[in-house]
Formats: sequence, structure tokens, C-alpha cells
Amino acid sequence: MKKVKLGLSLLLVMTMLFLAACGNNNGNAGTSNSGSETGNGESLEPMTIRLASGDNNPQWDNMQSDIGKFLQEKTGITIEQEFPVGGSDADMFALMVASDEYPDLVMPKGNVNKLVDAGALLDLRPLLEEHAPNIMKVYGEYMNRLAYSKNDDAIYTLPLDPVDHTYFDAGGGFQIQHQVLEELGYPEIKTVKDYENAIKTYLEQNPTTEDGQPRVGLSLNGGEWQILISVTNPAFYATGAPDDGEFYVNQDTYEVMMHYQRPEEREYFRWLNHMNDIGLLDKESFVQKYDQYKAKVASGRVIGLIDQDWDYAEAENALKAEGKFDQTYANFPVTLDETFKDASYMGTGYLASYGIGITVDAKDPVRIIKFLDYLASEEGQILVNWGIEGKHYNVDENGKRVIPADVLEQKNNDNNNFKKQTGIGNYFMSARYGDGVQDSTGNYYTTNFPEQIIAAYSEADKKTLAAYGKTVYKDFWPSEDEFEERKYGAGWTINFDTASDANVTFQKSQDLMKKYIPQAILADPADFDKIYDEFLAELDKIGVQKMNEEYSQLIKDRVEMWGE
Amino acid sequence: MKSQTTELSSPANVSKTKRFFRTMVQQKYLYLMSLPFVIWVVIFSYVPIWGWLMAFQNYKPRNGILDQEWVGFKHFIELFSDERFYLVLRNTLAMSTMGLIVSFTVPVIFALLLNELRQQFFKRTIQTIAYLPHFVSWVVVSGIVTKMLSTDGGAVNELLMSLNLIDQPIQFMAKGEWFWGIVTVADAWKETGWNTIIFLAAMSGIDPELYEASTVDGAGRFRKMWHITLPGIRTTFMVLFILSIGHLISIGFEKQFLLMNPLVIDYAEVLDLYALNYGINLSRYSYGTAIGIFNSVVSIILVFLANFIYKKVTKESVI
Repeated sequence: MKKVKLGLSLLLVMTMLFLAACGNNNGNAGTSNSGSETGNGESLEPMTIRLASGDNNPQWDNMQSDIGKFLQEKTGITIEQEFPVGGSDADMFALMVASDEYPDLVMPKGNVNKLVDAGALLDLRPLLEEHAPNIMKVYGEYMNRLAYSKNDDAIYTLPLDPVDHTYFDAGGGFQIQHQVLEELGYPEIKTVKDYENAIKTYLEQNPTTEDGQPRVGLSLNGGEWQILISVTNPAFYATGAPDDGEFYVNQDTYEVMMHYQRPEEREYFRWLNHMNDIGLLDKESFVQKYDQYKAKVASGRVIGLIDQDWDYAEAENALKAEGKFDQTYANFPVTLDETFKDASYMGTGYLASYGIGITVDAKDPVRIIKFLDYLASEEGQILVNWGIEGKHYNVDENGKRVIPADVLEQKNNDNNNFKKQTGIGNYFMSARYGDGVQDSTGNYYTTNFPEQIIAAYSEADKKTLAAYGKTVYKDFWPSEDEFEERKYGAGWTINFDTASDANVTFQKSQDLMKKYIPQAILADPADFDKIYDEFLAELDKIGVQKMNEEYSQLIKDRVEMWGE
Repeated sequence: MKSQTTELSSPANVSKTKRFFRTMVQQKYLYLMSLPFVIWVVIFSYVPIWGWLMAFQNYKPRNGILDQEWVGFKHFIELFSDERFYLVLRNTLAMSTMGLIVSFTVPVIFALLLNELRQQFFKRTIQTIAYLPHFVSWVVVSGIVTKMLSTDGGAVNELLMSLNLIDQPIQFMAKGEWFWGIVTVADAWKETGWNTIIFLAAMSGIDPELYEASTVDGAGRFRKMWHITLPGIRTTFMVLFILSIGHLISIGFEKQFLLMNPLVIDYAEVLDLYALNYGINLSRYSYGTAIGIFNSVVSIILVFLANFIYKKVTKESVI
């Protein structure tokens, strides 16, 4: 007890000093010190942590948001985030390794192996066991999935995937504007033919927008790396396979092939070729840059997209902010024909994919892990998901957290600014629970639960869903129970060793894909087969067969490791 | 440079080293002044050559540079047996040669025209406007170029359509064989004004008496340009040209990287981009270094070759 008291009084002194130091630029700081007791006797000395994130976040707030300021006050920690410039995250981390200088924290996405090979990441296991009870609690029974590989059971990154996540809503699939559905009387959209007909009919009746701009039938975000998201991944979904990165995994034998090698997917690309032939596909699909694509979507002229919501959300938010709700999108699982079943929600178990790691150059790993542990605590998780009580949410008489109407309004319709001002959504930097998990008060940890999702829908969304007799978009999709869980998680979380021959072959196959698939889609339909055959032949030539076998082995290793 | 010339011109009867130190003491201020630059060159140009060792190893960042597995010429053999390497080499040389030609003709012509202008204010204004694009980054320029050439309301297509030259918008950015041209033109737009400055400076250094004399001889404007202005800037031109030849193979990759898209990848990928994608990005630092060495060796050969030819033809040397 004495120690705690001593700690507390020390803390109080530190806090006073800290507040006095900040007094100049923060006039009312003196009154708020009662809110900044952490109770765990930690130093609140200001400390700056550099974090290199592989995912660009234009809404990052530099700790200037409400949550950012709260965290600064509470923990003394300032996060300074760096993002990839121009190029991909792969460049960023490769150059980081080459320079041998690391920030304190990294979110390397798929580049963990580069950093591990360079000896750049700390093994977090001892730190976790000693200092991070909250993080351990969140991962719980999945702790074994955090181990790096079969031969190295160190924990290098803390997966940021939410734990025990229930998907309440669907953000992928094929998108079509609400106004189209309304005008056509809400037709059934199940196969690519349905989808095509809807776009075609609408475009024939409304070739231009009200202000005379020509409409675009279907635009794909294929000019940059999102070609994977908008062009090749949908080939998985449309042909009844789950997204396993660039590979198709046979669920019984774990035999592997590159997914474009499947005859079914060839037919999907043939359909895109047909869309181009009849003039529905945006001619610029493979030429446009991401900002051009977003600008086009935000203009409301594009009738259909095949994309993920996080990829076009910025553009859709712009439409919402202008009140053009009928030009925003509804999503459907669309398949090549009725025989396929969209497997987007084929279970993965806890995925343990992209995470956050502490580097060997970190100045104070213990303090960092404690910071991450705070974010993983119940208090921390509520903070990063809901914001600050009394400001971004209230607790009603039944003890339920409620988001006030005006806050919700801004969150839904002006999300870009909302994120920057409040910081909600910017601080998912530690272990956390997913949608549908309840905290000790019986509230959900996240703001996505069925009631909230429905409350967040725009009138256009509600109208469309009502017309189809659904409550959420997810209802269109075949549910998780219709499939057997994948025992290896998901293929895109498994990578080859860096500097291995397989990795070179993989890079080559990607270059070939980026060249041939757009070419095949834009070709004269008569030439489609010729180009596609050439593509497959080229793949064989660079030794894809051998790479597939190696990948199959990696999958089997993962199954074995997680099966324990 | 200074010390060498004095050394050569001194009488030969004193011992060489003695003479050297004597001049050195005499010219100590010159030596001191050049010292920072010598250090700069050593640190930034010679010390990194140490890293070339990597090309002969299977370099892993975890260990020190001497604590690696040595593999001899493995990476070079791999490089020269990769088909893609020859493709990117072709693209690199094609784009840099086109760029070289354009960046040495257009600015000279532009400088000649500007030089003929009498009205100083007008001349300065034009010059400033012309070199402003130099300060615009490639990220922005590539955005402008793709937007201008877009089929979706791009200015170039709109113009061609309204002139009835075409009846369908042209997909400029989707045509691989046009990519080199687009890069060259974009580069010309961005750099012409800037490259003009040095030629204009050279032109203003020409003795006005030459012009006066030729006026007396009855030479017109074009004669003067041809017989006085152009020969007057020849040395400057050749020095710049030969140095640029040295950079033929290392043209950087920003423009290509920012302007390219999947459809034109076979025409757009250049050597530096290849080094990035197949070297550093795959953590094959050794392979990337091998490409770097190839670059440097070719550059050195090119510079000396160009200088050699120039020397043969004109009996002068710039290096």
C-alpha cells in the first residue's frame, strides 16, 4: 500500500510539473488534472514514439484530435506517424532495412519477414508476459497464433485484427448506385448478367447526368496496386473461392495454384472483356490513378464499381457530404452464374495477420508495451472506438452507451473530417476486440453492432434494403456457417521468405499478371483466348509450378502449427 | 586542378616532391578552400563504393558486411540471363536518348530565340514563366499529364475532337509505344526553361564586337546566329552534352514510375525501377547492388567514349 501511495504522490507531482510545463499553450489545463490519473504509477514524462505505418492514412490527426490529446495527457506519449511516400509499403520497409535505422514502432503489413530477417523486431513474448495483462487477455486462446513460424516461436507483431469479430455488415462485392436500383424497380442482382443488365438498362435510359456529364458504366480501380482489390480479387468471389491472396488453395489437399490459372476465373475475365466490348467498362480503368478514380466516383457519374468499401469510402463520403445519397452505392455478392456461392465469409478463425511490432531501436520498449497495453484495456478500447464520454457518446439511464444524434450525423456523413477531429478510428494500434464482443458493462466494445449499423445507414441504404427485404447488406451474402473454416487462416497472411527464389518468381508472376490481365480484358473478344493462353504459358515459363508447390508447403506448415 | 597546372608549368630542375610542397605552402589558402569539397566528394562518392562488396555476397542486413556468404559473380550472371533486364535496358536507353536529344535541341533553339529579343522586360518574363515548371514536382506533373491526356474530358482529346481531327477520344496513356514520347514531351515541358538558362548565360558572354563586325560585313540575323552565337556556346554545349551522356543509363525512375500503368509496363519499366522491384523490394540487396555497379561501369565507359570521339573530331577535350 505504501508503495502505491508513494507512486501516486510521485505521479501527482509529475503530473503537476507536466501540466505546468504545458500551461503556456493550454490555458485550461490546470482544471483538468483530476482526469489524468492513471493509477498505475507510471511516468508521464512526455515521450515521442515514432511509428511507421504501411497503410496511408490521410486522416491521421498528429495527436491533435480529441482522443490524441486525451492520450497525450493520460500517458504522456505522443505518436508521430510516418507513411509510405508515393510508392508502396514494400519500398518503405525495404529501404528502412537497407538503412538499418528503425522507428520505435512499425506496422509493416506484409513486410514482417523483411524486418525479422534483418533482426529488426523485438521478441514481444517476454514483454507481454511481464507488462501486458490486457493484451494477453484480449488474445486469450489465440496466443499460439501469434508465433512467427514453425521454427521460430517468437512473437514479433501484435495482430491488429479484431478478436472474436462478427461480421455484421458486408463492405465488398459489386457496387451499384441506389438511384439505378430505384429506377429499375429493384431487380434481382445475383449474377454478373443481372449486374450487367442493370447497368446497361440504366445507362441507355440515362446516358448523361443532370448537368450533362456522360455517365460511366463500370469503373475499376486498376491503375495502381488496387488492381488486386478491384480486378483480380473479385475473380475469387465471383467464382465461389475465398480470398487467399494470389493463390487458390484446395481446401482438402492444400494443393495450390495461382488463382488466375483456374478456368473459372478465366471466364470471369472473359465477362469483363465482354463488358469492355459493349462499352460498359470505363476505358480508363487500367490507366487512371487512384485520385482520378476517387474524383470520378465522387462526381457521382459512375454507375457501378467492383471494389471494397474502404477503397472507395473517401469518395463516397464526399458524395454523402454533398447530400447526394442516391448516388452512393449498395453492395451485392455477384457470382459468375447461379452455381457459385460467394465465399467472402468463409471462416478463418482468428486471423492474426498484419500487426504492430516494436523495433530494436525503440528507446523504451517497456513503456511502449505499457502504452499498447493501455489501448488494449477496456478503458482504452472504449476510448479508441467510442471516443470520450460526454463528448462523443453518453451513457443513458440503462447504462447503455449512446452516440448523440449530431455526432452520429457527422460521423456518417462527414466521416473524413470526423475522423481527423475526434481521432475515432485513428488509434487502432493494439490488440482489440471485434464487433459483437461486449465489455464488463454489457455494452459492445465497438460501435458496429446491428442496431448501430442500421442507425448509421442513410435513407437511401434503408430504402434499398427494405425493397429487398433485408436488414443489412450482409444478408445478401451466404453466411459463415455455410462453409467450413479454413484451417490456415487466410492465404494472404502467409508470405514466402525474403530473398528466396520463390519470392522472385512471385514478383515476376505479379508483373505478368499486371500486364496480361488488363490486356486480355481490353482486347477484342476474338483475341481474348489467345492472350490468356499466352499469359498462362508465360506463367509456366517463369516456374510458377515450383512456386505453387512451395506455397502449398507453407500452407501445410501453418495448418500444422495452428492445429496444435 | 590549380596545383596540377602550376606543377606542370614549373621548371624541372628541382626535385618533384620539393616543388610540390613549396607550391602547396605558397597556395595554402587555395588548398584550404578546396578541402571541404574534397572531403565532401570522398565521403559521398568514394566511401559508398565500399558497399559494392555486397554485389559479390548474399547480403543479409542482420550481419556486418564482412560477415557474409561470398558468391562471386552469381548475381551478375543472374542479371544478364534475365530477359526482363534487357527489356528494361531497352526502355532506359530509348527514353534517355530521346530525352537527351530533346533536352539539347529545344533549349538551344529557345535560348537562341530569347537571345534575339530586344525588350528586356518581355525577355525576362518569358524566361521566368518558362523555367517555373522546373520547380513543380513530378508527382504533380504526372497528375497534370494524365488528366490532360485522359479520355474523360482531357484537354488534349477535347481539342482534337473539336478540331474534328479524331472522332473517338484517343487513349494516350494506354498505348505502350507512345509512352516514351509522352515521357519525353512531359520532360521537355518541365525542363526546357531551366536548361535554357545556362545557354543564355553562355550567349551573353560572347563578345559584342563580333556581332558589330559581322553587321559591318553585312550579315543578317540568321547568319549571326549561325556563325557567331552557336559557335560561341559550343564549349558549354559540349561539356554539358558529354556529362549528360554519362547519365544516359541512370535516368532515375520518378517520371516513369508516376506516369506508368499496368498497360504500358513493358515500355515504362526502367533500370532503376527494376533494381527497386527485383532488388530492394525483395530484400535482394546484393542483386540491387549488382545493377548499380553495372550502371556505374556503363556510365563511365559512355563518358570516356563520348569524350574520346569529341577529342578525335575537334582536338579538344572536356575532361
